[in-house]
Amino acid sequence: MRKLGIIAAVLMLTAGMVFAGGGGESASASSGGISVNGLAYTGDLEIMHFSTSEEAEGNGGSDGFRTVLARWDEEEGKINLVQTILANDEYKKQIAVLAAADDLPDVFLLQGMNTKAWAAQGLVLDMTKIIKNSPYYAQYDHPKFYPFESEGKTYGLPVLTGGTCCVVVYDSKLWKEAGFSAFPETWADVKKADRFFNDKGIDTISFGNSGKWQINSCFLSTIGNRFTGGDWTHSLIEKKGAAFTDKPFVDALKFTQQIFASGIFNPDFNAVNNEDAREYYIAGDSAAFIGGNWDVSYIQATLKESDPELYKTTKFAVLPQPEGATGDYKTHDIGLGYAVAINAKLADNPEKLAAAVSLAQEITGPDFASYVAENYALGGLTKVANIDLSKFDQSIQDFYNFSYVDNKACDIYDSYISSAVWDVLNTDLQTMINGDIDPKKVAENAQAAYIANY
Amino acid sequence: MNSITERNIKTAESDNWLHAAGRTLNSILLNGILILFSFTCIFPLIWLFYSSLKLKRDFNANVVGLPKSPTFFNFKRIMINPDYHIWSSMFNSARNTVLSVLLIIICGYIIGYILARIRFKGNLPIKLMFLLGLVIPTYSLMVPIYVLFSNLGISNKWYTLIIPYLAFGLPIAIFLVDGYIKGIPKELEEAAAIDGSSFSRTLFQIIMPIAKPILVTVGIIQTFTCWNEFVFALLLIKDQRIQTVPLAMTQFTGQFSSDYPKIMAALLITMSPVVIFYFVFSRNIIKGMVTGAVKG
Amino acid sequence: MLTAIKPRRRTIFLYLLIPTAVYIFVVFIPLLTACFYSFFEWKGGPNKTFIGFQNYAYLLKDKVFWESFYHNLYIVAACILGQVGIAFVFALMINSRSVGLKGVHRTFCFFPNTISAVSIGFIWTMIYDYRRGLINWFLELIGHPEMIKVWLNEPKVVMPLISIPLIWQYIGFYMVIIISAIASIDKEIFEVAELDGANAFQRAIHIVLPLIKNTLLVCVTLCIAGNMKVFDHIFVMTAGGPGNASNVMALYGYKVSFDQQNMGYGTAISLAIFILSMTVIGGSQGLVKRLTKEKETV
Repeated sequence: MRKLGIIAAVLMLTAGMVFAGGGGESASASSGGISVNGLAYTGDLEIMHFSTSEEAEGNGGSDGFRTVLARWDEEEGKINLVQTILANDEYKKQIAVLAAADDLPDVFLLQGMNTKAWAAQGLVLDMTKIIKNSPYYAQYDHPKFYPFESEGKTYGLPVLTGGTCCVVVYDSKLWKEAGFSAFPETWADVKKADRFFNDKGIDTISFGNSGKWQINSCFLSTIGNRFTGGDWTHSLIEKKGAAFTDKPFVDALKFTQQIFASGIFNPDFNAVNNEDAREYYIAGDSAAFIGGNWDVSYIQATLKESDPELYKTTKFAVLPQPEGATGDYKTHDIGLGYAVAINAKLADNPEKLAAAVSLAQEITGPDFASYVAENYALGGLTKVANIDLSKFDQSIQDFYNFSYVDNKACDIYDSYISSAVWDVLNTDLQTMINGDIDPKKVAENAQAAYIANY
Repeated sequence: MNSITERNIKTAESDNWLHAAGRTLNSILLNGILILFSFTCIFPLIWLFYSSLKLKRDFNANVVGLPKSPTFFNFKRIMINPDYHIWSSMFNSARNTVLSVLLIIICGYIIGYILARIRFKGNLPIKLMFLLGLVIPTYSLMVPIYVLFSNLGISNKWYTLIIPYLAFGLPIAIFLVDGYIKGIPKELEEAAAIDGSSFSRTLFQIIMPIAKPILVTVGIIQTFTCWNEFVFALLLIKDQRIQTVPLAMTQFTGQFSSDYPKIMAALLITMSPVVIFYFVFSRNIIKGMVTGAVKG
Repeated sequence: MLTAIKPRRRTIFLYLLIPTAVYIFVVFIPLLTACFYSFFEWKGGPNKTFIGFQNYAYLLKDKVFWESFYHNLYIVAACILGQVGIAFVFALMINSRSVGLKGVHRTFCFFPNTISAVSIGFIWTMIYDYRRGLINWFLELIGHPEMIKVWLNEPKVVMPLISIPLIWQYIGFYMVIIISAIASIDKEIFEVAELDGANAFQRAIHIVLPLIKNTLLVCVTLCIAGNMKVFDHIFVMTAGGPGNASNVMALYGYKVSFDQQNMGYGTAISLAIFILSMTVIGGSQGLVKRLTKEKETV
């Protein structure tokens, strides 16, 4: 993986120089999918993204993104692709400034929750028609467009890999010792196991929420869905009457507060981030860990090298069902958080727009999808038929089945609505799981922010 | 008053051995406190260094302990990766820092001196205006500055960062110089004026040497501020060829991965030029800070 | 003010022109622009709607903001005592005849200032860490495991805990400034005031303090200004958490501007920071002036 990252990096660096004058004769190169449709545009095309080479070392989506982007750049020799690559935190900050200054790059990655606001302000190009005319239209997994839709129009091609945001990673051997052949389906059983693990001197579940978004993305999105059901979420997104203060959602908050007070988590859940918490699991200090697909790929890569025993016994499960929840049990929140979007200003320059469209289609198209499917057993926007899982080891297969086959998807809250709402809610949630604020109050604050900002 | 206190001390000193013992105790205490504090100040550097020689697992298992099998793996990874542009960013940072600091010292000195000594109508308003610069949170100016720079076409140039570094470095420099100059007796300048020295000569040849300690102080403070500055670098520089070290370092932290020893190695590399500079020249720097005083 | 030299107006003007112009260009014009923006509802795109004083009206009732303001005041108070106070004492100590290794102390104490705020925050997060941190390791060592806490997750102690790194980092900074101010004092005067007994300390204060009063005032001003807009350290250590228990004004404004993309209100917050800071600085200067005057007359 590391090598690939470096190769991709070197490719990117040289591509611009070497192929700048060379034209597109390398069409026959490794990629089957890219059509050399003779783009008329020559000149600079800017793209801003956050797949740093560092990121690509452990993250299949980033690796695929960089690889396909480099191929495109190579083949479209007449276009000078100008990349601005920032780590994700800096990316979010910078893109916010650029949006405010009305100076977005030609092509960039749009976060689901910004879609409505930015579309309303005319910052992003309406891609509805472009998507319909895409050569890959038939292969797209259409529900994935939902976070990037606003008033019946679609504003981007979902990018990178769609992974779960909420998975329980557990050591099946330890849980067997505690008397469970698989991860418990109820929280009451988890609490039972907690006594066993306490005596052993380890935490039952490790979780890290110092960044404040984890409790929302990796816990509440799924737990909330168990209480409210998916229709409520859609009603909230589409402003059709649902409110944070509705009883089922408040119940989900109450449950969340109780379960974090019950002591089954590591005591420092609010002071460490997910990266620390997963280290607890890797080091054997906790019997299970709750996180997202990014944590899983890290845990797998690390354990494979350092602890093959634990790698073998590590299994995946959905969150147990809370008492009183009426929604589906086998659910987890999963989706694509970002989409490739195009600056609305490109509409005035059809040649450049064609280039941008070609770029957007390729980095989300079959080339990307088959790359990540073959190398990482991950899925993106474009569906890949007949993935041969047999060449992957058991853990990767298990996780593929967990993510795409065995369980039902529900929405990731913060792919929608507005960051203004989530920032308020996440801050309160952190206080709430410390036990210092009433769930009702949390819901009221979130609702107030929702009304004021959405 | 001086002579009286002096005599007091002398008599006290020769008083008795008990007092001498007290003195020793006192000096042990003073030395002890300072040594302890100095140690805590330098320890992070030592800790950063030996931790960066660990691998991630080793570090997570024991944060404080020495590395069991020290390795330069983390440094190697950073140095050889062409994506980090480490050497060119070092050069860019060095150039920005040197030019900015020189400008800050010169401009800060001139303005600070004028504000401290010359009475004119604009004195107070100018002073207040610079005072404002101290209390503005940088983030609030991010969008306006971005718009301003890009409209004027001066963003993303090699000299771009020097402009905000100078502007945001000036207030501190001016206030330090102003406070310092006010502490210098006026007789010198008055004598110079009587001798027919021009304003510029007084400014640069008579007062500047006296103000050397504060100028050196301003210099070192600003060196590290400029070297470590991040927000403007992120905001105004797009081209990787002219990016500075702190910006290059962000490439180390992926969206969802963090490797502490590697980050520490990166921090050390970032810091190394200024830290080496600081320790090599610390004698001269400190001499500069404490000599130059008026002998009166 | 000096009367003996009266440079020509044009000379002053020329000297001031370029740096002041740069300053106005980079700081003042953007500031006025920001001021203008604060009267708009501006949700992070090109569109802005004029809403008059609504942002400010909201600000007055915004509990999170005022809680953050209180945290800033707390840090300012802690840092004036901790940073400037300790720095003054240390500067006197280093100037004392009975202290050795003067050069080493000066070099080392300033060292934390060479490190970026982000690194400082990172280092201290490690010290406070629950599992691996220095403090809990030490408590275990001395046999008090019951005192072990998730330090940065304790709303009651989080404020002092985040103030300590700030104080620690900047002692050297103010010490260096104070040392260079002391350097301008006549050496003989200072030697008289040397620390060599119980009363020496008081003597030092009575003799040295008035002589470097201007510099100390500058230090206090810098300390207030710096801590009213403190940001990076806290951002790294707690991001204002748990909840808002360690939130400060600049962090809140930043979050509103960029995380919540409510730039209009965010700029209103920064202008409030600005006004409140000036008020606190003005108040402190008045206070110091009054106190020092009283001292002089006594």
